Amino acid sequence: MTEQTQDDYGISRQRVLVVDDNAALRGLLRVSLNAFGVAKVTDVDGVDRALAQLRQDPYDIVLTDWKKMRPRSGFDLLRELRDPQRTPAPGVKVVMLTAYDDAERITMARAAGANGFLVKPFTAASLSQTLREVITDERNFIQTETFLGPDRRSRDRSLDGPMTIAR
Amino acid sequence: MAKPQQDVEIVNPPNLLQVKIGGPISAGDLHLIEKAEDAIKDLRSDFGTWLEEEVQKLEEAAAEVKAEGLKGKAGETLFIRAHDLRGVGSTYEFPIITRLAKSLTKLIDLDEKREKAPRALALAHVNAIRAALSQNIRDTNDAVAAALAEELETQSAAFAEPWKDD
Repeated sequence: MTEQTQDDYGISRQRVLVVDDNAALRGLLRVSLNAFGVAKVTDVDGVDRALAQLRQDPYDIVLTDWKKMRPRSGFDLLRELRDPQRTPAPGVKVVMLTAYDDAERITMARAAGANGFLVKPFTAASLSQTLREVITDERNFIQTETFLGPDRRSRDRSLDGPMTIAR
Repeated sequence: MAKPQQDVEIVNPPNLLQVKIGGPISAGDLHLIEKAEDAIKDLRSDFGTWLEEEVQKLEEAAAEVKAEGLKGKAGETLFIRAHDLRGVGSTYEFPIITRLAKSLTKLIDLDEKREKAPRALALAHVNAIRAALSQNIRDTNDAVAAALAEELETQSAAFAEPWKDD
């Protein structure tokens, strides 16, 4: 099998920023993403560093832990990225990493503009599945005065995006 | 009266690769997943060290809780450490630690719970996690570990019951 057929959805062109305060987990994500052949992987340990990195370089996907990484949480990062007045990276896709998989949390992430949701402990398979779904997410990004992110409406199931739980 | 509609501008994010493909996992994906699993296996020798570090952080938080109780920062830190362990236990090949940490987070994930949760029950979870790591008990194939995990989960779930639908 050629590398070309393996990359039938463009993972090798993705630039991914990993945000997690756990160095070992960042390492696991990094080796997994490198094995998938993504174009660029950068990892940082907190929200402020992530925002600085996004101001400096373009990324396609931000993979962030949800929880508080003192002083700010991954959810704060998501909200800032979806705020048209403050985002340094309009159009970046965001995957929330969390140990919780309850419906309320998924709904909350989606409402705030997340493109994907990855439950920890993650596996190579769940990470791969989530990335594929996020990369092939066909939802338009919409911009209002207060939100810039994926269309959160569910009028058309075919455009409803890939907010599924990957384990 | 209908709410006035906000002006909406539709914009296209850069670098969208909207190629629809069929099937949940393609052969190509499987190949990449295997590559990633192999890369993760190369790190296996570090898993024990990493997990030990995480459990030590949990124990440090537990020592604070022992001294100060679950209210306030001590309890919050214990929750954060338990939450971290829940997320990494299985990855580091100790699924029982993920299970025990999940039970602990259920017990103390809210301020209101931490105000009322039995400190001894929280600390029993920490002791069980340490015992699992020290004795290399990775899953519930060990009958004693299975019984202990089940008992802790039962007590934790019973305590958390009033918050179940919150």
